[in-house]
Amino acid sequence: MSRGTWLISRLLQMLPTFLLIGIAVFVLARLLPGNAVEAMLGERGTDEAVARLTARLGLDKSIFAQLMAFLEGVMSGRLGDSLAFRIPVTRLIGERLPVTMMLTGLAVAFALTAAVPLAFVAALNANRWPDLLIRGVFQVGLSSPIFYVGLVLLTVFAAWLRLFPVGGYGDTLGEHIYHLFLPAMTLGLSFAAIVMRNLRASILGVIHAEYVDFARAKGLRGSVVLLRHVMRNALIATVTLVGLEIGSLLGGAVITETVFAVPGVGRLMVDSIFARDYPVIQALTLVLAVFVSLAFLVTDIVQMWLDPRVGR
Amino acid sequence: MQRTNGLTRRAVMAMGAGLASFATLSAGGAGAATRGGKLIYARYADSLLLDPVWTDANVDIWVSSSIYETLLFPTDDGRDVKPGLASKWELSDAGKTITLTLRDGVKFSDGAAMKAADVKFSLDRARNPKNGAWADMVGSIDSIEIKEPSTVVLKLKHPDPTLLPALAMFNTGILPEGPYMATPGKDDEERYKAFAEHPIGTGPFMMTAWQRGQKMTFKRNPHYWATAADGQKLPLLDEIEFQIIPEDSTRLLKLKAGEIDGTEFVPFSRVKELQADSNLRMELWPSTKVVYVVLMCKDKLWNGSDNPLSNKKVRQALNYAVNKEAVIAITTLGLGKPLQSFMSSATPLNIMGGPLYPYNLAKAKALMAEAGFASGFEASVMMTAGNQDSTNNLTAIQQMWSQIGVRLKIEQLDNPTNTKRYRAEDFQMRHGGWTDDIADPSEITSYFAHFPNVHSLHSGWKNDKVSALYLASQEEVDPAKRKAQYKELQEIYIEEAPILFLFETPYPVVWRKNVTGFVQIPLGNNFFEKISK
Repeated sequence: MSRGTWLISRLLQMLPTFLLIGIAVFVLARLLPGNAVEAMLGERGTDEAVARLTARLGLDKSIFAQLMAFLEGVMSGRLGDSLAFRIPVTRLIGERLPVTMMLTGLAVAFALTAAVPLAFVAALNANRWPDLLIRGVFQVGLSSPIFYVGLVLLTVFAAWLRLFPVGGYGDTLGEHIYHLFLPAMTLGLSFAAIVMRNLRASILGVIHAEYVDFARAKGLRGSVVLLRHVMRNALIATVTLVGLEIGSLLGGAVITETVFAVPGVGRLMVDSIFARDYPVIQALTLVLAVFVSLAFLVTDIVQMWLDPRVGR
Repeated sequence: MQRTNGLTRRAVMAMGAGLASFATLSAGGAGAATRGGKLIYARYADSLLLDPVWTDANVDIWVSSSIYETLLFPTDDGRDVKPGLASKWELSDAGKTITLTLRDGVKFSDGAAMKAADVKFSLDRARNPKNGAWADMVGSIDSIEIKEPSTVVLKLKHPDPTLLPALAMFNTGILPEGPYMATPGKDDEERYKAFAEHPIGTGPFMMTAWQRGQKMTFKRNPHYWATAADGQKLPLLDEIEFQIIPEDSTRLLKLKAGEIDGTEFVPFSRVKELQADSNLRMELWPSTKVVYVVLMCKDKLWNGSDNPLSNKKVRQALNYAVNKEAVIAITTLGLGKPLQSFMSSATPLNIMGGPLYPYNLAKAKALMAEAGFASGFEASVMMTAGNQDSTNNLTAIQQMWSQIGVRLKIEQLDNPTNTKRYRAEDFQMRHGGWTDDIADPSEITSYFAHFPNVHSLHSGWKNDKVSALYLASQEEVDPAKRKAQYKELQEIYIEEAPILFLFETPYPVVWRKNVTGFVQIPLGNNFFEKISK
């Protein structure tokens, strides 16, 4: 199979996945007790007001009719209006998705920048003090709740030292990065810890492999052996891990976005679930599913590049 | 909205955590006000829809008065009305006709003059039962006539003492007929969404940008009609940016760092600390917020089992067994006040007969024994998950009730689940909170005490005398008689105790020291037009 057909078949394989996810989320959202009308009217809901709003939002139609309307909408690119905000879901998500993408991207960048070099330092000094120190620090990161880490970083770097803004997102690209610095560190911390531990173990696994000894015996320089033979092979497992962890990063974004007042889709998702804003829940889940699937695909492509045996 | 004509702005602040009473003091003089500038105000949640009649939420109502104004305005103490877009009004025909004279020189934010036709259009829209949930509030209007260019006459189906306050309520905000009808859409339903994206009103500010869940920008309305006491044109600010920051501690950190100028919904546990901060000014505005626990009064619970709470003596015992002062100290750090009725002390016609059911364990035990529950019973209460105040209240109550043998189970539910079970009357007790929308006791009474509306907070409590008094009061134009009706109604309600009477709390708002002139009235509406920084 050529790489082109492989890619196309991978993309096609995703479609039934999305359909299943769409249906599952549609059903799950409606299995939650209460509905958007009850969430919206709260204490003030008289029977009359509830009936009127239910009809207006189209929630009086059968679940099956609503599902068909939803699927038909998805096929034609219409995802409906948010029940709470009364604006198209696409616009609502369009405004917020780039924020979360940027936050997640920065978190990954932070994590890899810190974890990869430190994993090498730790592995090359296995069980000596640099290794113990690095592992100790990351262990703290791994075991601290995101909510807590966020508040500590906020208090120290934003409120006391005034190095960063306390929260928000800013208006320009520079401001976005500046505002997202602390949230990305918070979000990236436990991820960095996982990557570091995993990569360190992989390096230790390959560092004494015969092909590494052979490369050294050929007389290659230490750095070349490290980059071309040790790192490339050790990274294979780590790349898989990074791909798999993208999903949990998005989960962490929900909490990070709340603490740092970052207006991303994580917060939107939580708000929508509490408001039983079905169109937003459905659309957002689909969008995130596409995002995670694409992350898996990119992982596979990177793996193929690292290890040509993959994908054959 | 606007308050001129020498009316002093009043910021009412609690004088300390231990002090339950509020003292009145003036916060900053308008004479020293500086013009211009941008205010950044952090809100706990974003607005949803800026339309007077289709809105359902306080997050819209409390800021919409900066955009849409009403014919009458609520007074600062929230108990009465005063001239608004109508400069005067007259009742005739035994209260069945209201003649309103429109204020001269009022313009919409697009520069067009407000006309009587806009007023008729807006009120007709507000009273159309197909439009939104609030039409009943102006349901007594039979017809609206334009007599002269600046005179509008309302003919009522029956005399209605609640109509004047209703003309000061958000849902009767005035919209421009022309631009609204020019908005694309085949009916009001399609039109309102588009119009609310770029609302036009006569208010001091215009909404110019809105990124949902992130921020909303209000710019000053250059055509605004009102002036401050010193003759300066209002509003004083050029711009307000509302930032949405749900997390309490983040909002306060941003305020302390000077990134924002003020914020709302300060947790009571932080008030003392903020009062001590010399860079900040903590304001506690009197409110109509009441906190209570609904007690199911029906003989059987939803699952068919017997309900001890159907016995009035049990409900009274539960009330006596709660030390309200202690609950107030735990949850609000002393900033709340015990309830004196089901309505707040800022609601007109509250009987204000002193705290209810003073803590008396012996009396509670005696009542339990008389009701045949000397050894107590198991009971459950539901609350919205994650609400720290409700948790504090209920945990304290759980302890206190254990003294009379009531073993309370606390159920934490998310909001829609909680509301669903509430509406289905599938609960034994429910922690609740309420704020009025109108400067009149009729709204809260219809929900709390008048069975036909929502079964008295879905408790199933039905009292024909109370309903008769309520219905009579809805058409009673003699203030003394109406007051007497409300007195009797409240006395019956208190004695019957379909709720556990807890406390009322102020609205906590905190500002950087240089910001003055904010007003929040007991109904919750925020007024920004006299703010200077």
